[in-house]
Amino acid sequence: MNLDFSNDEKEFRKSIRQWMKENVPDDIRRCTARGAMPDKNMQQRWERLLGSQGWLTSTWPEQFGGPGWSATQRYIFDQERASAGAPPTSPFGVAMVGPVLYTFGSEAQKERWLPGIQRGETLWCQGYSEPNAGSDLASLKTRATRNGDHYLVNGQKIWTTQAHWADMMFCLVRTDSTVKQQQGISFLLIDMKTPGLEVRPIYSIDGHHHLNEVYFTDVKVPVENLVGQEGMGWTIAKFLLTHERTTIAGVADIHYEINRLKSAIDALPTETDKQLAVRRLAGLEVDLMALEYTNFRTVAATDEGKPFGPESSGLKIKGTELQQRVSQAMVEIGGLMSLPWDNEEPIGEQIFNQASRRYNFLRACTIYGGSNEIQKNVLAKMLLGL
Amino acid sequence: MDFKLPENTTMIADTARRYLKDNYSFDSYIAQLNESNHLEANRWQAMNDLGWFGLPFAESVGGYGGSLLDVCAIVQELGAALCLDPFVDLIVSPGKLLEFANTPTSLALLDRIIAGEARVACGLYDRHAGYHVLNPSLRLNGERLSGQKHVVSDGGVADAVLVSAMSGDELVIVALPFDACDVERYRLLDGSRAASLTLDDVLITDEMVLCRGDAAKQAVSAWFDYLCALDCARMYGACREVYQATLEYARTRKQFGRTIGSFQVIQHYLVDAFIDLQQLESMLLMVSVKGESANVCERGRATAAAKAYYANRAVGITQQGIQIHGGVGVTEELNIGHYFRLVTHASLSHGDREHHMSRFIQAGEKQNEVV
Repeated sequence: MNLDFSNDEKEFRKSIRQWMKENVPDDIRRCTARGAMPDKNMQQRWERLLGSQGWLTSTWPEQFGGPGWSATQRYIFDQERASAGAPPTSPFGVAMVGPVLYTFGSEAQKERWLPGIQRGETLWCQGYSEPNAGSDLASLKTRATRNGDHYLVNGQKIWTTQAHWADMMFCLVRTDSTVKQQQGISFLLIDMKTPGLEVRPIYSIDGHHHLNEVYFTDVKVPVENLVGQEGMGWTIAKFLLTHERTTIAGVADIHYEINRLKSAIDALPTETDKQLAVRRLAGLEVDLMALEYTNFRTVAATDEGKPFGPESSGLKIKGTELQQRVSQAMVEIGGLMSLPWDNEEPIGEQIFNQASRRYNFLRACTIYGGSNEIQKNVLAKMLLGL
Repeated sequence: MDFKLPENTTMIADTARRYLKDNYSFDSYIAQLNESNHLEANRWQAMNDLGWFGLPFAESVGGYGGSLLDVCAIVQELGAALCLDPFVDLIVSPGKLLEFANTPTSLALLDRIIAGEARVACGLYDRHAGYHVLNPSLRLNGERLSGQKHVVSDGGVADAVLVSAMSGDELVIVALPFDACDVERYRLLDGSRAASLTLDDVLITDEMVLCRGDAAKQAVSAWFDYLCALDCARMYGACREVYQATLEYARTRKQFGRTIGSFQVIQHYLVDAFIDLQQLESMLLMVSVKGESANVCERGRATAAAKAYYANRAVGITQQGIQIHGGVGVTEELNIGHYFRLVTHASLSHGDREHHMSRFIQAGEKQNEVV
């Protein structure tokens, strides 16, 4: 038993902290401190900056261009990243299609796509959900029909985050409707500029445009953009569910949010308001501690070479619940100060000004990436044998 | 970081589990529940033979130098077995207070506890001070001690007690015989035995005062944190059993022609319990290390967080265990309700949730001052 970081790890933290201090751009830092979301330009500048250090793809094995960090180092990096006010990186390229490509892709596919992800140059989006295939993903209907050296894709995807930013989409399509649902699904890479592909915005309740509908009408996708074989799509999708993501709980960003909220308590109108806010924050901090030590255990186990098991779904469930509770606390503690929606100048403490937007935005986090109810179904089956 | 238990701790835990499996059952528990004397001679001797009496204490004071982690391993198994043998009340609790007090008289008494020769309890709580153990209402005026102590957990058999009192504005720890007090004995929520003591001008000689002033404060505060960690260990053991039993029940109990574990709502309750249990284990590992940290602020913050968390989630697991068992869950004949009482008890002894939330907030403020 040892609950301390090693001296090497402490040195690593120091060097990352120093780098963050010198390199996180001021406009991005201010944006995060306001509780706002970075725009495309900020997100991409930040990811390219990390890419230039070789840190964007920190979870990748060294042979594919990862920096060779341990899970503990990656965890420390994430803590320092969040506390410096830098945004998390977009998961679609780095955490999703990248690992799919170096695990299932051909040599040509690796050469073609991995460098762009590593350098933060290619932006990806995820074409999974459809209007009638949400939690029941395997019932998806978007068709890809083989036609000589290409597929013709027809159908519709929905809830496609950042499709309006993306250069490429990785997409689950049906290539065979004569076999069992799961076996007829394939994994295709689709250029977002292909004719016949149309992106339409969906505005979410935070008032912003993150989500989209994507329509496919006879979209030509070259056969070399199929990953693995036809029919392997479901296997690949499942691989991603248990792919190691030791920062999935969002502990570092929850810390940052709690600290932001703490810094505003002095601005509350009365002593009673302050005391109640302090008490509420302490409750959240205690729950965060339990989540964080559970996360530490996963990190330590990963560094011992143990597989990242389904029990890590617990990190996602508890992490997203806590993100929502913290954002709700911020709105409720802000009270009247949380009500203005589109004003430039805050009517009170700055942090409450965007709090309700963030609160609205985070209602999605227990839904995306497999709703928490679906995660629980999976756990009940895989871990509890029910 | 490394969360693997040291080999020695694993051995201690295995031995405790095996010993209790062979020597203590739900029937033994029910039998003990109906006794007012909880010191069962054979098992008491067996625990002594296992080395448990010396384990919690440093080698320099005659113990075997076990860590808090080791003691938590035993207490976890005692909780899992619903065992009422007063190992904590008569060995660990008074022994640690005497060890922390670290005076010649306190260590002499500790010697007798380790040897299994003394039956001493701790009386650090009273009606007026509640959980605020550094401000007891008992008063030592000159040589006379007056006031009241309650929830003196003693297995029903202690003949001496360590009490805290204020002597002017100084905290003192005093050892005195039970028969110097008016004693009222009763059973507690978890089935264990305790007493209330009324002291009316009891004559206190110098050698009965073990420790005073800052030294007494430090000893009581270290004792409180240590006992908080043990509460968590005990609750964890109980929750582990409740979770396993409830999962097993959901797999086998049939209604509407199918097992109730096939219903999604029950599956989700059980997944919630699984995740909570994982987090409770994380908090237990954390507090088993930090609960005896030399950094007093870190120690206090860790024990406060752990107990506050347990008072919420450990209690929640046992409540849900009853709910999933349905009617049979609220009966005396099933163990589930007894675990619920044990966990509720442990969540209220040595500070309840609100008390520990306040401590956590204060520790955070102090931490900021240091930074």
